[in-house]
Amino acid sequence: MTTAKETKLISREFLIEEYVIEKEPYYVPVGDEIELFEAAYATKIPVLLKGPTGCGKTRFIEHMAWRLGSPLTTVKDNKRTQNGSTAIPLITIACHEDLTASDLVGRYLLEGEETKWIDGPLTRAVKAGGICYLDEIVEARKDTTVLIHPLTDHRRVLPIEKKGQILEASEGFLLCISYNPGYQSALKDLKHSTRQRFVSLEFDYPTADVEAQVIRHESGVSAKIANSLAKLGEKVRNLKDHGLQEGASTRLLIYAGKLIKQGIAPRRASQIAVVWGVTDDEEIQESIEEVVTSIFE
Amino acid sequence: MDLSLQKIEQDLSRFPPSVGENFRQSSSILSANLTDEQVFAWASFGLQIARQTARSWEPASEYYRVSPDVRPYLSEQELLDWGQVGVDLCLDSPSLGNAFFRVSASCFKQIKAEDIKDWALLGKRLYKGTWKSVMLANKFFEISPNLLESMTFGVVGRFVELLDALSYKSTELATDCLLLGEQILPEFSDDMSALIELSHSLVEHNWREVKSSFESTSQLIKYLEPGQRSRVLEICNEMVRGGLTNVSAFINESVRPLAKVDAVDRGKLLDSAEMLLPFSHEAVAAFLSSAPDLLDRMNQDQLMAWFDSGMGILKDNHDGGLAYFKVESATSERVLDNLSSAVELDKVKGLLGMYCRALAGSGVEVAHATELMSKNIGWVSEDHATTEGSVVYLPDAVDKYETKEENYSLFKVVCTHQVGHIEFGSFNFVFNKPSFLFNETRLARSKTHLGEESTNISEGANSSQEVESDRVFLTDMERFFNLFDNRRLALDIFTVIEDGRLDFRIRTEYEGLSNSYSVVQRDSLAERPEMKEMPLQEAMIEFLVRLSLHQRKGLSAPKKYLEQAKALARIFRRMLNVEALVEDSAEATIRIYDLMSDIPNVEASEDEWTTMDIDMEEEQMSEPDQLDEELEQMHDSSDASDAAEIGLSDEQAYDSPPQVDYRGDFKPELSQLLSTLRMQGDQTGLQENRSDLSKEELEQMLANSAELDMPQDMDGASPEELGALIQNLVQEIGSGQTSESGQGQGMIPHVDEEGYPIEIGEPLTYVYDEWDFRADDYKPRWCVVREKWVPEGDQQYFADTLREHSSLMRQIRRQFEMLAPEVYRKTKHLPDGEDFDLDAVIESIIDKWAGESPTDKVHWRRNKVERDVSVVFLLDMSASTAEAIDDARRDTWEAPDDPVEYMAWLRTRRLEGHGRSYKRIIDLEKESLVLLINALETIGDVYGIYGFSGYGRENVEFYTIKDIAETFSERVKKRIDRVTPLHATRMGPAIRHAITKLEKQDSRTKVLFLISDGRPQDRGYSREGVEKEYAVHDTKMALTEARRKNITPFCLTVDKTGHDYLATMCQDMGYEVLDDISALPARLPALYRKLTV
Repeated sequence: MTTAKETKLISREFLIEEYVIEKEPYYVPVGDEIELFEAAYATKIPVLLKGPTGCGKTRFIEHMAWRLGSPLTTVKDNKRTQNGSTAIPLITIACHEDLTASDLVGRYLLEGEETKWIDGPLTRAVKAGGICYLDEIVEARKDTTVLIHPLTDHRRVLPIEKKGQILEASEGFLLCISYNPGYQSALKDLKHSTRQRFVSLEFDYPTADVEAQVIRHESGVSAKIANSLAKLGEKVRNLKDHGLQEGASTRLLIYAGKLIKQGIAPRRASQIAVVWGVTDDEEIQESIEEVVTSIFE
Repeated sequence: MDLSLQKIEQDLSRFPPSVGENFRQSSSILSANLTDEQVFAWASFGLQIARQTARSWEPASEYYRVSPDVRPYLSEQELLDWGQVGVDLCLDSPSLGNAFFRVSASCFKQIKAEDIKDWALLGKRLYKGTWKSVMLANKFFEISPNLLESMTFGVVGRFVELLDALSYKSTELATDCLLLGEQILPEFSDDMSALIELSHSLVEHNWREVKSSFESTSQLIKYLEPGQRSRVLEICNEMVRGGLTNVSAFINESVRPLAKVDAVDRGKLLDSAEMLLPFSHEAVAAFLSSAPDLLDRMNQDQLMAWFDSGMGILKDNHDGGLAYFKVESATSERVLDNLSSAVELDKVKGLLGMYCRALAGSGVEVAHATELMSKNIGWVSEDHATTEGSVVYLPDAVDKYETKEENYSLFKVVCTHQVGHIEFGSFNFVFNKPSFLFNETRLARSKTHLGEESTNISEGANSSQEVESDRVFLTDMERFFNLFDNRRLALDIFTVIEDGRLDFRIRTEYEGLSNSYSVVQRDSLAERPEMKEMPLQEAMIEFLVRLSLHQRKGLSAPKKYLEQAKALARIFRRMLNVEALVEDSAEATIRIYDLMSDIPNVEASEDEWTTMDIDMEEEQMSEPDQLDEELEQMHDSSDASDAAEIGLSDEQAYDSPPQVDYRGDFKPELSQLLSTLRMQGDQTGLQENRSDLSKEELEQMLANSAELDMPQDMDGASPEELGALIQNLVQEIGSGQTSESGQGQGMIPHVDEEGYPIEIGEPLTYVYDEWDFRADDYKPRWCVVREKWVPEGDQQYFADTLREHSSLMRQIRRQFEMLAPEVYRKTKHLPDGEDFDLDAVIESIIDKWAGESPTDKVHWRRNKVERDVSVVFLLDMSASTAEAIDDARRDTWEAPDDPVEYMAWLRTRRLEGHGRSYKRIIDLEKESLVLLINALETIGDVYGIYGFSGYGRENVEFYTIKDIAETFSERVKKRIDRVTPLHATRMGPAIRHAITKLEKQDSRTKVLFLISDGRPQDRGYSREGVEKEYAVHDTKMALTEARRKNITPFCLTVDKTGHDYLATMCQDMGYEVLDDISALPARLPALYRKLTV
């Protein structure tokens, strides 16, 4: 659910689609992150999820939203869905460099003969008391990011300038952001004033055992293949900082697993999902392919 | 005796008595079968001679003396002819005649009578009237018998013609050649005319070379077969006619390598060379010198294919073909690589390095086995892969199979096996760590083994460093091997078991390798020695090796020890478990060792052997206890009987069976020692480390270790050898890990330690290709770029410069601030743009409804691209920048090419610059930099500043003033102070290195800014030292490479003559020639601004 898409939908006067997670999102805890998150939620401390791409940050937040108040729903017309008062909406906002304050807070739109205020996703989350998840926060411009500051300290308010309002966050509201330190460059770093408003949960790729379990569950491949894929992931990650900027994500390994499940030969599946997924450098590709051919027949 | 003869005798009496005497003696002999007239004629010749000059009596006497000797070879008439010839010779020079007569008898054995005259004429021909020529001619006669013995008269004639021709240039030289010819020519037998013909050509083209060519060609005899010599010589000849001047060099560089290959191959190489001859003589030389080495990498047919494609290139482009045959072109290497079935480590080193890192985790590197060997720290084989725990050492090439694929898969298996040692912990053996599959027996054994000596081992002690009977063990591995009396046997068992464990583990973990592994194991098995020919103990080790190589059927085993063999198999079976640890290998070793020590190392006769099959699958996995119990029983039962039965006298000393090639060298003890030492070194610092481990301890350990392939008798490991080894070990630890590898285009193929002195802290070296515009191809791995930091000086310089140019600085700053990023912002309210601005549209519509005229400025657009610039400044730090700016610019073309002269030239230039009160070019460059840095800091562009200079292709110095990844700091300021003029200007590699730096940046705009003061030049940065364009073209190519990689190159030069070559060098790229150098500080920032907007 990107804002671009949202903008498009709104300007065509569509309503936001419902995003309902009915089943428990599969998540295998690696450490005490579930307890920590629960504690943070209880005490309303905003959470920063840090970790390489595809290691399960988003899945974790989905899982937590479900866990903290299943069943989980998103908002529809600023109203909580009525089934289950404990449900916590999860509003995911993918941040990008064009994300403006209006995109987050809301804007006036035309409706018939009059203008009508439409809440932005952040406002909706604040009102609905859901978890607002700003994915890849560093991608957003710094002046946009500042907007969330009042929501993240003791005030827990969202000023809506255009309406001249101040919106107090509902009880269940929690701001979560994610942040991938992988592509840290001077330009794409989090401001300290922003960063120090969050507690950080650090994520990394799971251990081979856990990862194999995850791959098996998500892709449905045999335990043997899942183990091999997890092994491949582990080996490729050894190359991080030796030519690779990022290791192979669990997500890629799952993709490979899914392809294998569809009958693609393991070597080929690994090649297109993992080898070509992690790098464009031919030499490194060759090296990883050697690992692939070692692992898979 | 008639009157006339008496008359002659009378006349002769006027001469010294020997004349008369010889006359009388000979005449009496000759008169026996000559007519009187003939005798008279004969006698009067002598008189004729004697009368000629004052010294003529000597040849006359000689004439008379030898006459009876020559008589048997000649008829009567011939004798007289001979005399007549002699008379004629004596007319020219008595000593000539004398020499002629003296050797006549010996010569007549070889030549026919009718040739006598011609022969004499040959001598006469050499005589030119000078005394030197007399010597020459005399010498010729003197050695004629030798010459005639080994060559036909015709050849001698041709040889003399040569000498004759030569003597017109230098008689001494002719004499020397005559003597040389006497020695050398006979050895050439059938090929000698070819040599003479070659020399003839040389006389025509370059007579000074004749002698040295004789000398160098004489080497051919050692290297080549008879028939091939003349072919080589004919090739030489052809080349000499074509202008080859230095035959010796050609022989040494191009012909000598032929000795390396066998005669058949050599013949084919010569065929090829002959084919090449009409096209290019240089190519022949190049081909002949490179081809023998290539035969190491490929077979004859492949070489011919390589040759053919080279011929093709040569016909189109002579220089290209030449570089091709020198194997100095990328095409050549590519073709070679495609043809050769061998897999060379250099080609796959990067790939395998990364592969190993992936498998075992970071920190693992791949290196040549020769590197480890040359360190002399205990590893001695360059053909076997090995590892010492952090670096995987591999052989230079694998060429066992017919195809590249097979060789590569073998290489991969070899490599994976070594990584397996690291990945699966062969070197992590801990003495007290419990094993997984066996009951722990090590501790108990260490007590019993040490027997009465060890009385007080504290039970709970768990450090391997603990004292056991005053014995300190440096490593756990050492402690383990100390449990055995026969360490070599124990090591062999441990090696087989551990390798077997790894093979099983690798095949399980890496199923994809399983097929390659099977092939490799199958082929290894085929190479194993026959067990039945080995003494029993060794045979049992071989039994284990075969088991570990997956032989299951038809294993030989001695009938008598069938039970033991089965037990071995059971123990081994147990190891085939993914969870087996290195400690399990150790436990298995103990058990097998005990079994083996029951077996005497004697040979068994054929009928004492039987074959057995082992079914690994059905082998029941018994409980560890049960196994040990059974083994114990077997041990007990065999104990008593055998020792008595077999006389110990038959027992042979145990010797290791040959190792399994693909598994390489396994030295757990040394490896553990190395890592222990390294760890201690890290912890305590090198100084203390030395005191930590006494030399004695090391010595004791190494002397005991079975891993050192010292001469078989262990006591014989000489103290010197050990001492050297220890010293090397300590050095190795001191030098820490192997040096970091660079990320240039492939590492330099040879080791740094060998070629160059390493300066302390010298950072990375990188290797780059160089463009040869004549050959239209790259010279692969041609230049070595050495990256260094500029030393830090005084930062005051920076501040002073800023102060000096403060007004200019303010101006520049203002200009740059205007550039400052308008941070990638949407500009709204535009009449036209990328998309509607929603808010503006709404406003506009509201306005319309409200009755106001709506604005049409409802679009937005990204007005300005985000400023996202990386720039590398490359500063010319060549010697010429030491010149004063207002000096009449000296032409830097004058730089001598000879290294010695060049350095002297540099020195004088440098000296001139001393005590200067004027500004040099480099000073202005530095000032410009200071201003630019200041400006750049205001706009936040990513920038690096580097200087380059160097001397020769192996020493392109690349100085970092500010690294592109570094933030601006005081240190940078300090470094700028120390930027000084250095050596030459080899621009190409410096540019290529700068490109490598820039490539790592992910900025949208990348700029390479080259600031120089003249054309590129360096020793050998030209073709044949004359064609300066070479450098310009290489630089141009480097700049083009930059363009291809999306980097904008720009050249700024202060050389007023720069227009000439910059136009070529930069063609459609940006460049500027600064007429007034003092404008540089103002111009540089301005240019930069223009370039990056």
